[in-house]
Amino acid sequence: MKKYDCVVIGAGNGGLAAAVKILLSGKTCLVCEKHNIPGGFATSFKRGRFEFEASLHELNGIGKGNLFGGTRRIMDELGVTPLVEWIQIKNAYRLISKKENIDFILPFGIDNIIKACDTLCENGGIEAKKFLDLSKTVYEAVAYIGECNGKPDKEVMQTKYYDYLAVSSYSVNEVFESLNTPEIIKNVLSAYWSYLGVGFDNMSFVHFANMAYSYFLMGATVPKSRSHEMSLAFEKRIHDLGGDIFFNTEVVKILTDENGHVKGVELKNGDIIETKHVIANISPHKVYANMLDEKAIPERAIKLCNFRKFAGRGLTVFLGLNKSPEELGITEHSYFVYNSSDSVEMYKEMSAKGHYAGQATCCLNNVNPGCSEEGTTILYMTSLFFDDVWKDVEEKDYFKYKNEIASHFIDEFEKATHTNIKDHIEEIAIATPVTYARYAGHPEGVIYGYENTYKDNLMARVMMVNEDAFIKGLRFGGAFGERGIGYPSSYTSGYNEARRTLKDMEEDSNV
Amino acid sequence: MFKRDKDPIVDVKKGLMIQDVRRKAIDDAPNSPLPKSYKVNELAHDLHPGHIKATLIKREEIGLNSYLLTFRSLSENERFPYFEAGQFISVSAKVNESIVTRPYSIFSSPMEALKGILSIAVGRDGFFSSYLIDIMELGTKVIIGDPLGDFHYNSLRDKKTIFGIAGGTGVTPFISMIKAIEEGSEDFNLTLLYGVRTKKHLLYDFRKLKNPKIKVIVVFSDERVPGYECGFITKELISKYIPKDSSIFMCGPDKMYSFVSNELSQLGIDKNLVRMEHNSIKSIDMENPHEFELKVHLRDEIYTIKAKENETILTAFERSGLCVPSKCRSGICGLCHTRLISGSYFVDSKNDHVRLADKKFRYIHPCASYPRSDMELDVPPLDILKEL
Ligand SMILES: Cc1cc2nc3c(=O)[nH]c(=O)nc-3n(C[C@H](O)[C@H](O)[C@H](O)COP(=O)(O)OP(=O)(O)OC[C@H]3O[C@@H](n4cnc5c(N)ncnc54)[C@H](O)[C@@H]3O)c2cc1C
Repeated sequence: MKKYDCVVIGAGNGGLAAAVKILLSGKTCLVCEKHNIPGGFATSFKRGRFEFEASLHELNGIGKGNLFGGTRRIMDELGVTPLVEWIQIKNAYRLISKKENIDFILPFGIDNIIKACDTLCENGGIEAKKFLDLSKTVYEAVAYIGECNGKPDKEVMQTKYYDYLAVSSYSVNEVFESLNTPEIIKNVLSAYWSYLGVGFDNMSFVHFANMAYSYFLMGATVPKSRSHEMSLAFEKRIHDLGGDIFFNTEVVKILTDENGHVKGVELKNGDIIETKHVIANISPHKVYANMLDEKAIPERAIKLCNFRKFAGRGLTVFLGLNKSPEELGITEHSYFVYNSSDSVEMYKEMSAKGHYAGQATCCLNNVNPGCSEEGTTILYMTSLFFDDVWKDVEEKDYFKYKNEIASHFIDEFEKATHTNIKDHIEEIAIATPVTYARYAGHPEGVIYGYENTYKDNLMARVMMVNEDAFIKGLRFGGAFGERGIGYPSSYTSGYNEARRTLKDMEEDSNV
Repeated sequence: MFKRDKDPIVDVKKGLMIQDVRRKAIDDAPNSPLPKSYKVNELAHDLHPGHIKATLIKREEIGLNSYLLTFRSLSENERFPYFEAGQFISVSAKVNESIVTRPYSIFSSPMEALKGILSIAVGRDGFFSSYLIDIMELGTKVIIGDPLGDFHYNSLRDKKTIFGIAGGTGVTPFISMIKAIEEGSEDFNLTLLYGVRTKKHLLYDFRKLKNPKIKVIVVFSDERVPGYECGFITKELISKYIPKDSSIFMCGPDKMYSFVSNELSQLGIDKNLVRMEHNSIKSIDMENPHEFELKVHLRDEIYTIKAKENETILTAFERSGLCVPSKCRSGICGLCHTRLISGSYFVDSKNDHVRLADKKFRYIHPCASYPRSDMELDVPPLDILKEL
């Protein structure tokens, strides 16, 4: 029988980062992926003369020069950085919001943002600065807590990071409220909410500050050859370090011994792989419901699942257009086209069937001009559903229904930007929750893991990570892991779970 | 939800208690069993079952040297999915020691698929097609790869009227479209210019069609029939029949593509406005082709096989009976995506559809690549083919 120190289930971002980290410490590792390529959502696909990015709008935490964040630090340590070419995005986003009649471009860089906010209202810059300063303190406090492995010095926290402690139980909207941030400043700074996927009445300010501040500060990037480039770079590292990666290889069972400890995995073709450590790059819901012996699952694991709420299910319209962005009048890379800038209202609307509330849309050519032939454009629009609104779609209505929805997305984009898209569609692909359910296999086509709500917020998750690991030898990395969704978070949680797994291995050998 | 306090000290305390809040919420959560499956995931599986085990239930000659093969799925819970008329499937079967997979456009309609029926039209061209026509017995088990491809009407991409140009068995996807329009599963207008050798070669009796949305003009190349067009599909014929404001779809042999493309460009029609179904990549005619050795990794198994320089690498895999995935056989779909560990290969630039990063990190599509040296390759296996 084949035997590995660690088996990773799924070659999404979390699984790939975990595998490289395990291999770097000299342990043996096998990655099993049910598809024929790595990356999970981090991939690309071709239609006609276009190569579409499957998911990535923008990658945070790469930065440039000396200004870089967590994603870059992990890429460096795992040896991926030299293998990928990143391109810097110019502006954060253009927000077009119907209800408040906003059409505004938010630049990157804290000083630039402050300057831009000054044009929005009296003292706009000063007000924005208050909010950003507080975000900075929180961002630095979280980094500090991380450096101390979750055990920070009380003194330091109460002096240097007092503001962090004071606001750490606040929602984003409560912070806006207590700072008396003018409505328009609040609107333009909260547009980012849809990338985090929780209304700002229910999202911890710490989470927002941690994610958004680094984004505002150091900007964002895209890899030159789509996210597939990063996924293949990770795969190369796995091979170079002597690891194995099996494609078209679905894991159907995680096997446990009489003590309930992991002893191996079973593949769809019946093969058994022996291992004491599994890092699952998939949802605990799936693992507990379908992949483990019921006897091995403690009640609290089920309770934990039932306590949590699935985050956004995705919908994306991919368009290959037969005119250039200039000809079409598409000037920016990132657009938020919203019915309203109020995240709470939007979240509610996006939870109801048939409702359209907004979209995050990217024109890849405006950051990566060579991404498609001259005279053509790649445009992709994404939105979320915060409920299982696709569950009643019938098989024979599916293709028509998704075109109807896509049509609405395109109309709204055209209206907001005064462009004509529909007459120039050469290629189209539409990914729905059904597509995402098929592709990654997550429940209900969820692409955002579990919601980072107030009660299930980032800091609490991180501090309780060992308490949430119920089965000896089994850990969860990726978007369903401690940090929630996004490339940076999924890479980071995979990396962190590998660190913890390495520690678990040490304990094995001490016994 | 959050609650702010007037006293910041109280807030600090609350901030330190976030774990307790979470722990308590987990305590209070129900321990009801988790769902084993979800409706959206079930629909995903129905639409994309991946591979379906099926059996040949009927074979009939429908035009000279063209046969209609009908399949039925082997089990109730593994039926054919609904699809978009014009798409293709792959058929895999065991022929002697080879495990062979070929793409075929679907002849039947989307609604027929829901009833468990799927049919393809097979012409006598190539060894697998001859096997399907002459040798394969009714009841033989095959594996069908689920429907794929962009050769179908899309209401957002295409004009409401499709102008189809078909040659030979290339009419198949259009027949599926016609059936779909007739049964109401698709809603568009189709004007079809169908080039075929003689009356005896016709694959479908278009005279029975009464639907005003469908118009078929048959063009015989090898005989004159009163009331029909005759000759090749020239720019004159195209201008005579092309409806105003239509999208052009073309399916037929490569020879027809080069001829008609030339005619279309003379009419000033941009090639990017023409949707062409792709043909399988063939072996290259060559005397005494050189033979190379391929070292092939399938998970942790290693095989050493022979490969001729004039045949694609995929063909070499199939000849050796390796269970490897493939579908479109035209370099496009990416199902045969393979890591090149060492060696060199040739791929015609018009068939080179790997992604940008695949180039950078040396991945190939074996269905479009020919060996140019001994090679070492890492291929994701397709276990289900072992059941053939
Ligand atoms: C449209 C879209 C846009 C997005 N935009 C951004 C963005 O701009 N910026 C950003 O940071 N993030 C973005 N995200 C989010 C980001 O893509 C995801 O959070 C991240 O890729 C999740 O990675 P993961 O590690 O959870 O793995 P996943 O991508 O979920 O991969 C899981 C892998 O496991 C495999 N698998 C599942 N079950 C099994 C099994 N039983 N056996 C073997 N393998 C299995 C799957 O095939 C898959 O490859 C976007 C996502 C989508 C869909």
